[in-house]
Amino acid sequence: MNKKKFEMERKRLEKFQDISEHERILFAMSLSASPDERWERHENFLRSHGLFKHSERKAFGFK
Amino acid sequence: MSAAILQGVPATTIDTDIWVELPERQFVRLTTIVMKQGGAMLAPTVAALSDDSIVNFLPRVDGIGDFSAEFSDACWLRWQGMKIPALPLEKILASKQFLKRPKDVAHIPLLKETLRLKK
Repeated sequence: MNKKKFEMERKRLEKFQDISEHERILFAMSLSASPDERWERHENFLRSHGLFKHSERKAFGFK
Repeated sequence: MSAAILQGVPATTIDTDIWVELPERQFVRLTTIVMKQGGAMLAPTVAALSDDSIVNFLPRVDGIGDFSAEFSDACWLRWQGMKIPALPLEKILASKQFLKRPKDVAHIPLLKETLRLKK
């Protein structure tokens, strides 16, 4: 994660007073990232839950 | 939702939708490509690639314009060393608002919020 870009995005989102700090961080992380970074985070999330591979999801009960 | 994720929507998905401008009767050409890449077809339009990720080939996307019209308005993204066209978030939202399947309805607030916060 590019911390400088993240902080700039987080600061930009301060104008939206109707979102929680948690949402501000979540959106700052996502909006400041490049497509590659966003995809890597998404794949890592699935892998961390054992849901990346079709075979893993089938074992979990997905169709 | 893969295109949405690449554009900053903080979500995840278990497959990637690829809209192809091919009549369904010619989808066998996609099967050939998938098989040559070491993948397998799970259904006529659903492929498991060699890394076991899932791709869903779409002959159409409901709720928006035709392929030519939408391709000319595509959002171009630099991803994995390539420049790829993606449906803009506004169009992904429009399609989901049209389809209104439960999973589409679930994504609508997140798409709307991302569009709002991007401004």
